[in-house]
Amino acid sequence: MKKILVADDEMSIRLLYSEELKEEGYEVYQAANGREALEIVDKVPLDLVILDIKMPEMDGIEALRQIKERQPELPVLLSTAYGEYRQDFATWASDEYLVKSSDLEDLKSAVKRYLKD
Amino acid sequence: MATERIAFLTQMVEVFTSTISFGERLNNMVHLLARHLKVDLALYFGLDKAKETLVLNLSSHGPVPPHMRLEFALGQGVVGEVAGTRKVKSVQRSQPGVLAANQALSKLHPAFATLAGFPVADDNFLYGVLLLVDRQERQLTPAERQNVHLATLMLAGTLRQALLQEEAKKRIAELSVLFEVGKALSATVELDDLLERVVTTTAKVITARGAALQIVDAVTKEVRVSSKYGKIPWACPSPTEILATAAPAEEMPHMQGQGTDAEGQTHHFLAVPLTFKGQLQGIICVYDKYAADGDYLPFDPENRQLLYTMAGLIVNAIENALTFKQVESLAERNERMVRSLTVLQVLSRALLTTVQEEHLLEIILQGLTLDQGLGFDRAVVLLVDEADQVLKGVKGAQSSVELKGLPLFEALLSPLAEKEKVEEWRIPLRADQGALAQTVLQKRPYHVKEPVRKGGLPPALPPEFAPSEFFVAPLLAKDRAIGAIMVDNQASGRPLEEEPLHALRMFSTQAGLVVENAHLYSTIEANNRELLLIRERMLESDRLAALSSLASGMAHEIRNPLVSIGGFARRIAKLVDEKSPLRGYVEVIQEEVTRLEKLLREILDFTGENLSFYGDHDLNKLLDDTLLLVQRDLEACHITVVKEFSSLPRLHCDDRQVKQVFYNLFQNACQAMQQGGILTIRTYPVEKEDGLYEAVAITDTGGGIPMEVLHNIFNPFFSTKDYGTGLGLAIAQRIVSRHYGQVEVNNELGKGVTFIVSLPVAKYCLVKEAGQVAALASTLKAPKGGG
Repeated sequence: MKKILVADDEMSIRLLYSEELKEEGYEVYQAANGREALEIVDKVPLDLVILDIKMPEMDGIEALRQIKERQPELPVLLSTAYGEYRQDFATWASDEYLVKSSDLEDLKSAVKRYLKD
Repeated sequence: MATERIAFLTQMVEVFTSTISFGERLNNMVHLLARHLKVDLALYFGLDKAKETLVLNLSSHGPVPPHMRLEFALGQGVVGEVAGTRKVKSVQRSQPGVLAANQALSKLHPAFATLAGFPVADDNFLYGVLLLVDRQERQLTPAERQNVHLATLMLAGTLRQALLQEEAKKRIAELSVLFEVGKALSATVELDDLLERVVTTTAKVITARGAALQIVDAVTKEVRVSSKYGKIPWACPSPTEILATAAPAEEMPHMQGQGTDAEGQTHHFLAVPLTFKGQLQGIICVYDKYAADGDYLPFDPENRQLLYTMAGLIVNAIENALTFKQVESLAERNERMVRSLTVLQVLSRALLTTVQEEHLLEIILQGLTLDQGLGFDRAVVLLVDEADQVLKGVKGAQSSVELKGLPLFEALLSPLAEKEKVEEWRIPLRADQGALAQTVLQKRPYHVKEPVRKGGLPPALPPEFAPSEFFVAPLLAKDRAIGAIMVDNQASGRPLEEEPLHALRMFSTQAGLVVENAHLYSTIEANNRELLLIRERMLESDRLAALSSLASGMAHEIRNPLVSIGGFARRIAKLVDEKSPLRGYVEVIQEEVTRLEKLLREILDFTGENLSFYGDHDLNKLLDDTLLLVQRDLEACHITVVKEFSSLPRLHCDDRQVKQVFYNLFQNACQAMQQGGILTIRTYPVEKEDGLYEAVAITDTGGGIPMEVLHNIFNPFFSTKDYGTGLGLAIAQRIVSRHYGQVEVNNELGKGVTFIVSLPVAKYCLVKEAGQVAALASTLKAPKGGG
């Protein structure tokens, strides 16, 4: 079973994403900020990470940078309420930049694309 | 006897010293002598002027009636012999040949027996002969002879007095003529008037039928003035001809002669030169002496002498008149000059009333074309177009009668009445383009008098513009010719006068400065307008930024909960049976959330998500901030940082993007200097063609970039490193170009590499719309796949 980490400071979002992804047949880990996310990345052999950007303690961009430093091959999707972070070239290191929407079809198809096999 | 003799001599002396007329005195003397000697007749024969004939002048019998007139040639008869020898001679009728030689005397005294002749002479001059006639043969006693001798001396004295008096009278008469002439000549200094007086007075004084005068230029020998009066049968000889004529040494140079005209009439002429201070000035010539009976007579030496004397007076008078004329024309020129200068002064005053280039040019053109100004028929102002290297027509004007009555100052400030279309004139600034181009190239005025023949007009000018003469002066400002002013008098055909041209020469420098200042002023004004516009835009963008940051802040806060609400609603919908009424409620929630999300997107689109990132930043501080981010890496590699920061103006940029640029460059430097080195960061302002830039030079000591990869370093996804996206330099370059800046690379193999980032200060970022930046940003795609 493929392992996905969802990092978002909003509990409701974490819950929503986990439910939906579990339904799709993935094992889902959760983190409330970048620091927690890195801890899990270090411990668990993950297949994909979904990062929010605005988080307390460590934001998604820094988490992205560190994840890519440690595991360049691990796909990282950014899921954020802010479209303008596209301008920040630090986000270019992510594999996908998604603006949050109540319709999770975009997110799910992206996940599927990276975890095809 | 002695008493009688003394009485005679006393009487003689009384007569000699009396004040009665010379004729009376001579008559009385002859009469007294005849009575004293008791001779029948005493006669006095005067020697004529030609000194050839002795004419009977006086007789002791009273006046000689015309039919009794008689004369003896020199050497003829007793009278002629005495005059010839100047010796006393006495003859008797009975002597042989006496009667025959003196037959003429029988008319007066048919029975004369004795004839005694006595010369009447003084020390050096023979006046005539005294002849005593008597019917008896007699010899004069020595006492009688002595008395006669004394009488002849007294006669000679009287005659000399008479001659002297006559001479004096003549001189006085001559002087009075000259006085009259002088008076006439000095009555005027008007040259024309004077010349007329000279010829008429000369003709009248000499009693000639005609007179002519010529004055020549001492240098060119051209005739300066001439004047004529009366009948001139032929032109007077030229002044040089008269000098060429060989005159006797003792005589002044002159020409005298006669000729016959077409009708066979013989004419006489006399010409003398007019000289002043040894210089030949001209000639005066008189024609045909006028006789009372209407005859044409030749001129005598006295006429010549008089003409000479007059010539002296004439030449002085004419010289005075010529000098006066020169002084007068100088004064006139001065007056015109003063007028031109006054015009310039008023013009300068008028030019101070405005700084608008358009208006200044109009004032200048008015000054040149107004009648009360410099009075040219037409004037054109041309200015140099530096970029195209051509002289362009800017404004032209023609003189107009409309503003004639106005005071100059007022007229200068009035709008141009007659414009000349010159806006299409374009004259390339090359030496072969005629005087207009040359004026600018050589920075000097040109006065072209035959432009068509000599090609003074540039070929670029329209054919209808073809003045026969024009003047063009450069507009000079600080040693540069910024244009030219052209004037002509094409419309009226008058020649261009020296004074207004001189004034224009002086004026062109001032005009150049004035036009240049106006030019600077308009540039300042344009800059000012631009600054105002920029300020307005900045205020507008500040307002918009504040509004958009408020709106986007709210929108973002709302988006997260909406995602949860919408997302869970969808999950509920899946769980609820299709026929359940709950299904409809959930769908309402779903639809409403979708509607709100759409609204949010629109709000965020409107506020322009990226606009708020642009601001004014200190480049040095951005560098310091970025250095903090890479500090750990630098320390890990033992890299020393050397900062050479200049003080710089604030830079309008997206600070996060610019920091990204430096971050990427620092990262590269770290990679290059894994074994340690020096990272030098230098900031400095750069003046480029299109404005001021701020530059950052980042130099490492990592040995440089290998030549084979140098051309690839800005390609996306190109990397020589083991990890990373390979986008570092590509991103840096894109960010810099979005800020309208440049990235340059100075690669020194074996030493290191320097990246120079230059970013324009303020103006360009703002002037080029923020929307344009947004459009560019949207074309950039997020990277796919890892590096």
